Amino acid sequence: MASDEARKPAAERNAAPPARRAAWRDVVTFRGPPQPGLELWLSIAAFLAVLGAWALVAETGLVQPQILPSPFAVVAAWGRLFADGYIGDIGISVGRVWAAFLASALIAIPLGILMSGYRAITALLEPIIDFVRYLPVPALVPLTLIWLGIGEGSKITLLWIGTFFQLILLVADDARRVPKEFIETGRTLGASDSSLMKDVLLRAMLPNMVDSLRITLGWCWTYLIVAEIVASSSGVGYELWTARRYGKSPEVFAGILTIGIIGLVSDQAIRALHRRWFRYLQ
Amino acid sequence: MSFIRISDVAKEFTTPDGGSIPVVRPLSLDIQEGEFVVFVGPSGCGKTTVMRMVGGLETPTSGDIYLKDTLVEGPSRDKGMVFQSYSSFPWLTVLGNIRFGLKYRSDISAAEKEKIARHYLDLVGLTPFADYTINRISGGMRQRVAIARTLAANPLVLLMDEPFGALDALSRERLQLQLMDLRRAERKTVIFVTHDVDEAVLLADRIVVFSKRPARILADIPVSATLPEKRGLDILDHSDFRKIRRDVLALIRNEERSMEAAE
Repeated sequence: MASDEARKPAAERNAAPPARRAAWRDVVTFRGPPQPGLELWLSIAAFLAVLGAWALVAETGLVQPQILPSPFAVVAAWGRLFADGYIGDIGISVGRVWAAFLASALIAIPLGILMSGYRAITALLEPIIDFVRYLPVPALVPLTLIWLGIGEGSKITLLWIGTFFQLILLVADDARRVPKEFIETGRTLGASDSSLMKDVLLRAMLPNMVDSLRITLGWCWTYLIVAEIVASSSGVGYELWTARRYGKSPEVFAGILTIGIIGLVSDQAIRALHRRWFRYLQ
Repeated sequence: MSFIRISDVAKEFTTPDGGSIPVVRPLSLDIQEGEFVVFVGPSGCGKTTVMRMVGGLETPTSGDIYLKDTLVEGPSRDKGMVFQSYSSFPWLTVLGNIRFGLKYRSDISAAEKEKIARHYLDLVGLTPFADYTINRISGGMRQRVAIARTLAANPLVLLMDEPFGALDALSRERLQLQLMDLRRAERKTVIFVTHDVDEAVLLADRIVVFSKRPARILADIPVSATLPEKRGLDILDHSDFRKIRRDVLALIRNEERSMEAAE
C-alpha cells in the first residue's frame, strides 16, 4: 500500500483534505470570515429564545397576564382583531404613510438636488428647514387639528412635516457626495446644468437616495402612530389606543407587533429592490 | 495665433478665512495643433491647475487662455478631460459609457453615434467587454473606457490628469503604448500631466517643467527634436532619452530640495 502511495504524483497523495476550521470558530473570531448558514441559525435561535422566554414567564404566571399576556393570548387577540376588520385599519394606516411619504419624496428630491447645486437655494431654504426640523412633531398636532380638523388632511400633513424637512437634507447630502469627477466629466462632454442633474447627478446618487427614502419611511410610521393615537377613529394606532382604554393587553401587544411587522416587511422589500436595481455596485 | 495660447495666466486660491494662496505665477505658453505636451513638476506644484484652467474647470485669477482663437470661459465638449481617479459611470456598461461621450452631440444622427461609439470601443480594445459593468473590469480597462468616451466626444484638445497614476507598472506600460498608437491615429492635441519622468519622455513631443508652488515654467524641452516620433519601449535605452530624463529629473530634484530647505 505504501509503495502505491509513493508512486502517485505528489498532488494526488494525501487524498484527505486539510481539516477545515469549524464554522463556529469563524463566527466567534474577531473580524472572522462569513458563515451565512450558521449566522442565520444563530439569528433564528435568538429570536426563538426571546419568544420562548416570553412564553415561559407568561405561562408560569410569574408575571400577571394583564402586564405580560402570553404569546398564545396575543395570537388569539390577532384572530379577534382580524375578525373585526383589522385589515381595513392596516390598509388605512399604510395608505396614510405612503400618501405622506410620496408627497414628501416628490418635493424633497428635486429641491434637495437643487439645494446641493445652487448656493442661493441653500441660503434661502436652510435656515427655515433647520428650524422646522427641530420642532417636535407631536407638538404640531394641535395646530394641524385647528387648521385641518380631524380628517385625513391633518394626519397626512403631520407626517409630511415630520419627514419632508429631514428628507430634503438627506437628499441634498446624497447629491453632495457624488464625486466631483462625475460632474466634471459630464460638463466636459457638453452636458447642460439640467442634463447634468438628470443624467449624472441623479443616477450617481440614486443608490444612496433609495436608502435615505427607506429610513424616512420608517420615521413616517413613528409619526403615524402619534397622529392616530391623538386624533383618529381608524388605523392601527387608533386600535392600539382603544385596546389600552379597555385594558386589553393581548390586543395592545398584537397592535405593537403588527406595526413592527409592517415596518420590517416594507424595509426588507426596499432592501431587496435596492439589491435588484443596483446590481452594478457589486 | 497658436492653437492654445496661455497668456499671463495666474491663479490664487482663496482660503476660508479670506486669505489667498498663489498657486500659479503669471505664465505664458503656446501649444501648436497636434502637439503632445507633458507637464511635469514637483507634486502639488500647480501643473494640474494650469491644465484645469485650459479645460475651463478653474478660472484664472488673471490672464486669458485661448483655444483656437476662442476665449476659454468654462468647460465644454471642445476640451475633453481624462481624470486620474476612475470617472467611468458605474450605472452604465462599458459601451454605455462610451456612448455617453456622444450623448450631447446634436450634429450627428443616432445611427452615426452608435457607429462612432463602436469604433472607439474597438480602438481601445474593449469590444469583448462591451456589456460589462464598470465594477467588473480592471483599473486599466476603466481608464481605456474613459479615454474612449472622451475621444468619442471629438474634443479639440485632450487633457489628461495623471491618467495612469493609479495603475500597476505593467498596465501603465501597456496603456502608454496604446495611447501613442491612438494619438498617431487621431492626431489630437494633448496636454498630459504626470509626475513620472519616464512616462513624460516616452510620450511627449514637448516637456514643460514646472517649479514648486506657485508654479512657473522652469524649462520647455523639445523632446521630438531629438527623439523619433514613433517610439517603443526600446527607447528607454536610447542615449538621448536618458539625457532628457536626467535633465528633467535634475530640475525637479532641485526644486524639491529647495522646498525642503524652505520648510
